[in-house]
Amino acid sequence: MNAPDRYERFVVPEGTKNDNHSCRVSYERDTKIVNAASFTIEREDHTIGNIVRMQLHRDPNVLFAGYKLPHPLQYKIIVRIHTTSQSSPTQAYTQAVNDLDKELEYLKQAFEVCF
Amino acid sequence: MDRPAAGASYQRFPRVKIRELKDDYAKFELRDTDASMANALRRVMIAEVPTVAIDLVEIEVNSSVLNDEFIAHRLGLIPLTSAAAMQMRFSRDCDACDGDGSCEYCSVEFNLSARATDSDQTLEVTSNDLRSADPKVCPVDQARAYQQALSSGDYDPNAGDQRQLAYCIFVADLRGILIVKLRRGQELRLRAIARKGIGKDHAKWSPAATVTFMYEPDIRINEELMDTLTLDEKRSWVESSPTKVFELDPVTQQVTVIDAEAYTYDEEVIKAAEAMGKPGLVEINAKEDSFIFTVETTGAIAAYELIMNAITVLRQKLDAVRLQDDDGDLGELGAHLGGP
Repeated sequence: MNAPDRYERFVVPEGTKNDNHSCRVSYERDTKIVNAASFTIEREDHTIGNIVRMQLHRDPNVLFAGYKLPHPLQYKIIVRIHTTSQSSPTQAYTQAVNDLDKELEYLKQAFEVCF
Repeated sequence: MDRPAAGASYQRFPRVKIRELKDDYAKFELRDTDASMANALRRVMIAEVPTVAIDLVEIEVNSSVLNDEFIAHRLGLIPLTSAAAMQMRFSRDCDACDGDGSCEYCSVEFNLSARATDSDQTLEVTSNDLRSADPKVCPVDQARAYQQALSSGDYDPNAGDQRQLAYCIFVADLRGILIVKLRRGQELRLRAIARKGIGKDHAKWSPAATVTFMYEPDIRINEELMDTLTLDEKRSWVESSPTKVFELDPVTQQVTVIDAEAYTYDEEVIKAAEAMGKPGLVEINAKEDSFIFTVETTGAIAAYELIMNAITVLRQKLDAVRLQDDDGDLGELGAHLGGP
């Protein structure tokens, strides 16, 4: 009765037409702690959450990085990042996503060479 | 684990070694990366690599013993060759069709027509009876049977002899996946539409039969302690392992590791060593950044294609979770619309 539809797990709800990603990733700065923010990513799960978190741990400027799924029937993750004053949470997050993309590109080439 | 001096990138550089590669099975080693990456690849291979499966069934006549939705469910589970799936569009995203989700860009039409003629034999309706509008997308068994018939040399496609093809298929026992059995006088006629989807939506779209990975074990035998054991103790210790990891050489009376990867991380040998009063006889650790993957597919996609598509899909997902610049980056928007 209350179960959400199956496609809700990956179909993003209608956002504004001119900005495709507007509702996918949003972030809130923490008012009480400096250089800390929570990123809410819609329609993602442990697949993305865990690799982003582990990549953030490799950054020496990141003091704290963690993710959670607030509820298994709400299809979003919250990634919380604290950094030193050398960096900012948005910078650390962007850096992590870029590094992961480069790593996957490297992995793809490694596979192609093997074949 | 060394960081570049400029502090610009903390990327890892994974290494891959393919051990075994067949059409629907692959075994490879993945090194120098994190468990989260290995798990993400596994999750994407199972749930987010797109394939094509029957999604909409219109039944004209069904006088079989199974009801309509039963047959529709079974049709959905038939694996279809989905090499073209990555280029296809999802029906919900397709703007070329009238909105009923069935145009040539986003769907493939199938027809099935079977009637049990008046004989005493039961007619088995199988996936070989599904006729596809697009020859590139057909049931996996049909493709396999056709390949087999061609390679066996008995069937000549130019002659177009359907009975010869049927004979080859029957002989090789590639009759296809059974859908329903019909008795004399029963008939089944339907039209089915196959669409692109992902395993997250319904398991029928999952291209993977099983995808597993294990940590590579690092097994070290303490030779000094091992020398204090008698031959019988050594033999009983080697046999205490449920899988054959160690071997006792009868000539030299040495215990060696013959197959480290057969170790399933049950700790039977460690418990056996402790029971014998020799703790620390062997030290077994899992290497944290070394994984051995086993990938088996249903045949919808080749094993190698599955791995490459998984990497592509994972990159697309990462691209979707980037933060947007506040001044509305039109370049990235254009790239998003133009991409597959």
